[in-house]
Amino acid sequence: MTEYLIRRLLQSVLVLFLISILTFAIIHAAPGGPTQVFLAPGLSPEAAKVQAHNLGLDQPVPVQYLKWIGGMLQGDLGHTFKNNIPVGDILWPTVKNTIILMASAWILSLIIAIPWGIYNSTREYGFSDHTSNFISYLGFAMPTFWFGIILQQTFALKLDLLPLSDMYDMDKQGDVGNLILHLVLPVTVLSLGFLAGYVKYSRSSMLEVLNQDYVRTARAKGLKERKVVYRHALRNALIPIITILGLDLPILVGGAALTENVFNWPGMGRLFVEMAVAREYSVLMSITLVVSVMVVVGNLLADILYAVVDPRVQYGRKGGAAA
Amino acid sequence: MRKKKWVSSFTVFALAAVLIAGCTGNKPQESASPSASPSATSSESPSESPSASPAGPKDGGTLTISTFSDMVSVNPIFINDTASGDLDALIFAKLYDLDRNANLAAEPWSLAAELPQVAADNKTYVIKLKPNAKWSDGQPITAEDVKFTFDTIRNPDVGSPAISTLDKIDTITVKDPQTVEIKLKQVYAPFPYSLYISIVPQHILKDVPAKELKAHKFGVDPAQTVTSGPWKWTEWTQGQHFTIEKDPNYWGEKKPHIDKIVYKIYADQNTEVQALMKGDVQMTEAIPLTQIEAVKKQQNLNVILAPGPQYEYIQFNFKDENFPQKVSPFKSQKTRQAIAYALNRQGMVDNVLKGAGALMNSPFLPKSWADPGDKAVNYAYDPEKAKALLAEDGWKPGKDGILEKDGIRFSFELQYNAGNSRREQVSAIVQQNLKDVGIEVIPKGIDFATWIDQNVTPGKFPAILLGWSLSNPDPDAESIFSSKYFPPAGQNSGWYVNKELDELWVKGQQTVDKTERAKIYHEIGEKISIDLPYVFLYQYGLPQGVDASKVKWAEEDRPESSLAYGYLFHIINWWLE
Repeated sequence: MTEYLIRRLLQSVLVLFLISILTFAIIHAAPGGPTQVFLAPGLSPEAAKVQAHNLGLDQPVPVQYLKWIGGMLQGDLGHTFKNNIPVGDILWPTVKNTIILMASAWILSLIIAIPWGIYNSTREYGFSDHTSNFISYLGFAMPTFWFGIILQQTFALKLDLLPLSDMYDMDKQGDVGNLILHLVLPVTVLSLGFLAGYVKYSRSSMLEVLNQDYVRTARAKGLKERKVVYRHALRNALIPIITILGLDLPILVGGAALTENVFNWPGMGRLFVEMAVAREYSVLMSITLVVSVMVVVGNLLADILYAVVDPRVQYGRKGGAAA
Repeated sequence: MRKKKWVSSFTVFALAAVLIAGCTGNKPQESASPSASPSATSSESPSESPSASPAGPKDGGTLTISTFSDMVSVNPIFINDTASGDLDALIFAKLYDLDRNANLAAEPWSLAAELPQVAADNKTYVIKLKPNAKWSDGQPITAEDVKFTFDTIRNPDVGSPAISTLDKIDTITVKDPQTVEIKLKQVYAPFPYSLYISIVPQHILKDVPAKELKAHKFGVDPAQTVTSGPWKWTEWTQGQHFTIEKDPNYWGEKKPHIDKIVYKIYADQNTEVQALMKGDVQMTEAIPLTQIEAVKKQQNLNVILAPGPQYEYIQFNFKDENFPQKVSPFKSQKTRQAIAYALNRQGMVDNVLKGAGALMNSPFLPKSWADPGDKAVNYAYDPEKAKALLAEDGWKPGKDGILEKDGIRFSFELQYNAGNSRREQVSAIVQQNLKDVGIEVIPKGIDFATWIDQNVTPGKFPAILLGWSLSNPDPDAESIFSSKYFPPAGQNSGWYVNKELDELWVKGQQTVDKTERAKIYHEIGEKISIDLPYVFLYQYGLPQGVDASKVKWAEEDRPESSLAYGYLFHIINWWLE
């Protein structure tokens, strides 16, 4: 297991390195550099040149990359072009805010979706199954920002029960109770989107297992239905669910730009869009890397969890069952 | 040479576009009349007459203003965006300010004690400062600060966006701590507006090397930003809000009434408007046109809807190599006039701008002193006349109904910045209008940064739909119309040549007497409206929303839509209920 983990980590570092080269190249290939956005057109071409030179933007892209990666390896994410603010100052708060929002929605939807899916698998096409199906279609079909606007109109404006947007009231910055009030609407919107998928996954994954021979054997030897479902079937059904969760983990930091925009949530999705328009290379690179790290971590976690839920999966011995 | 600023507002309308379907059916606003008269502002009077609140101005309170984009840096030397400009207007004293009619003025909150004394040669300006002006750290504001500010902006190593506004200066001399003398290289009538400028503290920045000024914390870190205005900058949470508070040591005789002003940043304009309706914010600087009716329905909210200091135009390219057939179809004056007749500009003002605009026939804002009025040709919508002119000019319908001349099919690409819903709508109208007279238009939206870089600055496009923001009230526009200013160095990006106009622009700069100067611009307006390097479309405004039950001002201090930053006009005199 340890050997396997080390190998995976080394691979991950290589992958991240390649991702950084690729994104750096793509971002720099986009026409209209940062000087076009924040300097021109109010600026004379000569002054723009001076600024580009002062910022090191007139150097060849590979040289700029080496400088950037050099700083990165020493923990320096770089500075914004437009106002020389350390990228970390902008980035980390938004990462935190996005995790608060997305994790709340994610965990809430999992708590509801997995038991519900399991329950529905044992009572196919019952009332509960139809209800969850209906909600799933709703969740899939409804654009999240539109649903968000409806909720805002109803609960924030007409009924005046909940805050309209932001993380805190202006005079209650940092207050946890206030934060929870502000979370209600965006979390509702986001969880509905997650819920739709997860109920379906857990239901179908359970159904597949419940039709297996060993489940029939378990029933045949007279085990109680509850034991059959929760001890024998569930453990196996969890494997595909874990895969999905591992793949979805990056959502936690990637954020949801549209929902963040509608609820004015100061998160990373919103930051990414803003910074892409402004061609702030360092910020974009840092966001891409944070998300890439999450992708790698998510996959790794999923692999480790396989071994935990399924004793048949063992890494590092006999060539490894999964890679 | 004076640089002008293209208006992108690409972000401003980016998300608004999504919601248009749900918000149609708005009645056009009747008040299309321009902004010079106060009555031009919308339906309900936006201004609270003093009698409405007999108690008069009250001190205290927090005003929350919404903004669509975060500030960048409030260092006056580098300001190049609206949010930073707003903050600058509140925390820095300017050398001179502008009055409601866009004249240079030494207001009680200006640093200058009186209007500049201009010597007989019209090249020497003497500026007297108020002796009591102080920085927020207690240091006096002196002539040295003024000289330092001008010299820094003029230094090419600094890279200030304002450098071109000061390139006519020859020398700046400090005569005594309250007196500065500026000598120009030549007579330059637009110069006084270059004195409408915030001054930076020499004692803080004098030892910073020119190349490192942009990276300096002054203007970015509130703790390191010494200010000079009625409010001082206390907080900035990036991407969320920035806050200013009344400076108890402010030097001015006139003190502000409002204690604290918070700018809240909204990523989505729909949310921004809802925040105004819910009361989270008391003022919004630009309500999307589609939301105006909804805002007006709410009793306590006023919408100030008047054309502002910006206009939109269609620009033709005169350079053959920018067209697939290597021939510009726009070279004939008659053809350009036909296009002007074919466009339903009034329809654009009524339907797209919902009345928040006024037709433009020249590059001068309607009702400004340079406006040629009736002397400029007004091309009223007349497709028949357009067809006749095109026929006279030799264009004949081809097989597919599109006009042809000398084997060239009259079809061109009209570029604009993607995401700007106003320009998207207008380009569709242009396409339809010109199709009606046999011209094919292919509208193409391009990402703003890419577009400016690849097409507009180098002058490589067939035709564009774009706008100018006239933050400087002077009418001089030599740098965008004169053949001295071809791309990439100049902003005459359509490669337009008219020697007669070239000379008139220079004459306008060299004539100091305002009446004589106005005559020159009237002549330019007339000639340019005949020759049409652009089809001038309309002047448009950004509707300002205010919670009138909370935000109060006397009639003479009401916001002035015709000025850049006019939504904050005389805010030092406003108060909160």
